[in-house]
Amino acid sequence: MFRYLGRRLIFVVPQLLGITFISFFLVKLIPGDPAVLMLGPNATHEAVIELRSQLGLDQPVPKQFAIYLGNVLHGDLGKSWQTTRPVLEDLLERFPATLELVTLGLLLALCIGIPLGVAASMRKRGVVRKVSDYYGLLAGAVPDFWLALVLVFVFYSVLNIAPAPLGRLDLEVLQPDTITGSLLIDSLLAGDFAAFWSAASHLMLPVLTLGLTNAGPILKMTQSTMDRTLTSDFMRYAAMSGLPKHVLRRQAIRASLPSVITIVSVLFSFAIGGAVLVEIVFSWGGAGQYAVQGVLNADINPVLGFVLFSALLSLALYLLVDIAYFVLDPRTRGAS
Amino acid sequence: MSHLSAAVVLHDPESPAIDPPVAFPSEAGSRAAAADIVPATAPEEAPILSIDRLTVVFDRYGLEPKVALNEVELCIRRGEMVGLVGESGSGKTTLARAIMAAIPEPGRIESGEIVFDGKGLDDLPEEDRRSLLGRDLSMIVPNPRSELNPVLTVGDQIANVIRYHHNVPMKIARQRALDMLKAVSIPDPERRMKAYPHELSGGMAQRVVIAVALACSPRFVISDDATSGLDVTVQTQVLELMTALVRNQNASALFITRDIAITAHFCSRIIILYAGEVVEIADTAVFFDRPGHPYSIMLLTAFTHDPELRARWIAPEAELPEDCACAFAARCVRRQERCIVERPSLRRLSSGQQVRCHFPVEA
Repeated sequence: MFRYLGRRLIFVVPQLLGITFISFFLVKLIPGDPAVLMLGPNATHEAVIELRSQLGLDQPVPKQFAIYLGNVLHGDLGKSWQTTRPVLEDLLERFPATLELVTLGLLLALCIGIPLGVAASMRKRGVVRKVSDYYGLLAGAVPDFWLALVLVFVFYSVLNIAPAPLGRLDLEVLQPDTITGSLLIDSLLAGDFAAFWSAASHLMLPVLTLGLTNAGPILKMTQSTMDRTLTSDFMRYAAMSGLPKHVLRRQAIRASLPSVITIVSVLFSFAIGGAVLVEIVFSWGGAGQYAVQGVLNADINPVLGFVLFSALLSLALYLLVDIAYFVLDPRTRGAS
Repeated sequence: MSHLSAAVVLHDPESPAIDPPVAFPSEAGSRAAAADIVPATAPEEAPILSIDRLTVVFDRYGLEPKVALNEVELCIRRGEMVGLVGESGSGKTTLARAIMAAIPEPGRIESGEIVFDGKGLDDLPEEDRRSLLGRDLSMIVPNPRSELNPVLTVGDQIANVIRYHHNVPMKIARQRALDMLKAVSIPDPERRMKAYPHELSGGMAQRVVIAVALACSPRFVISDDATSGLDVTVQTQVLELMTALVRNQNASALFITRDIAITAHFCSRIIILYAGEVVEIADTAVFFDRPGHPYSIMLLTAFTHDPELRARWIAPEAELPEDCACAFAARCVRRQERCIVERPSLRRLSSGQQVRCHFPVEA
């Protein structure tokens, strides 16, 4: 187990290097000169040239990459010219916001998708099966930002239950000291229940949006894997051995878990960047929003920083998935 | 091994009376002798399992349902071991699954009844039927490596069956599971308890499946081609172990197999299934002495070393109407007009066996 983990960790280094390399050159392909954008339309030609040399943009691209890589190794992700702050600081502030949102959203999706998928699979001809079929279709067809707008309209504008979609906390609530980055946890640690309540109520609608849309694929995956498992030889054999229904269900869920974990990990790494539309609707100020702003304004460093961060996160996630496989499926353990 | 002198008379299909008797290889004869070990129980006792005109069909989209079993009738007495022989696709496994209430979709029982120990299985409430399966009525499956749960240890899988059928704590169930592993002669049983199915050899996995099937001391065991995937040497060991255990527990058994030689060894009666129909039911000794149905004879000649004899019982495939009354007619050397229009019924011959044929081979 530990040898396997060690081997996996060694591979993280070349993987990260490759991702940085590819994303650096792809970002360089984005048209638009940062120097021109930074100085505005009235800048003189000389000023632009000077800024370009200051930024190192007059160097050949491979050399720029070498310089960037050197800086990254020192923990310097460069500066964003939009926020005029170091990218690392910006990301450390925004990434937790996205992580909290996406994690809770996917947890909700799991809570909807897995029970519904299991129930639909256990009873092929029932109301639950119908409901889950339609839900799967609907969740695949409805865009998340549209659902977010509908939720805001219903719960904020009409019912006035939810707070205005303007960030993570009410304006009058002070942000608790940052410890983990999750407002829920930090406010609890600080014993600040007003902040906790405010953070929770702000999380409600965006989490609901992500949960409802992401539950679709989880539901479908759970249901189809359960269907396949339930008709497999070993489940039929278990049924023929007269095991009670709840034991059969448990065994089938257990056998289906690896597929569900896979789809969740894919959804998670996708949602880190993909939740940006939801973030924009709720003015969340998350990492996805930050990166998109960077792309639109040829602000290269935030984009690269975001790619690096999400790559690290994805790699960590896939490592966790592999460990989960290792625990769940004895066949992946090799000779013990 | 005793050498039985009984010669199997295989008549020439065209002129039954003139043809000289052909000695059947002594191998089969000695196997028939082995079957004598199993005494037939008193006929007046109620059978442990009886199947009454069971018809199983598989629904097909836009087509007539496919008939997998056609009015199958059989009856197994307590303590009896019966062999069920048929080629691939004859409905052997469907029959086993019908008894175990596990016919795969889109199959269904269209008519008929399966009575186990005096109770109609279809009439039982689902929960009662479930508790019967695996406890009183169990099945030894082929391909044990795909039938065992890949993520549970062998010990847990045996223990699970014991635990839920006997309502005992897991600890006691595990202890009994270990005893079962010892009973099926698995080397190093303590270690094997913690092994996963993929870590076992085929023969070992087969023993585990036998342990699962016999863990609750069932009264009736179905072995569905259980040893077909094993090496011949291992096959004999496993079969002998299985029959010994079944006999020790005083259970009855249905041995489903493609290998007729196995039934000669272990069964007191033989049922021949062809295209979903029972074509012959006979005591083993009678069957190997004078098989009645042309198909049975064809099966037996397949074991001879006499190519001429073999050829004589294999009919050239004939173009017959789809709805031919006798299912075997197209391959039968004794076919006549009547076989195409009138379905033969299962009737008793003077030699004692029941045969579904208008023109059986009679002594």
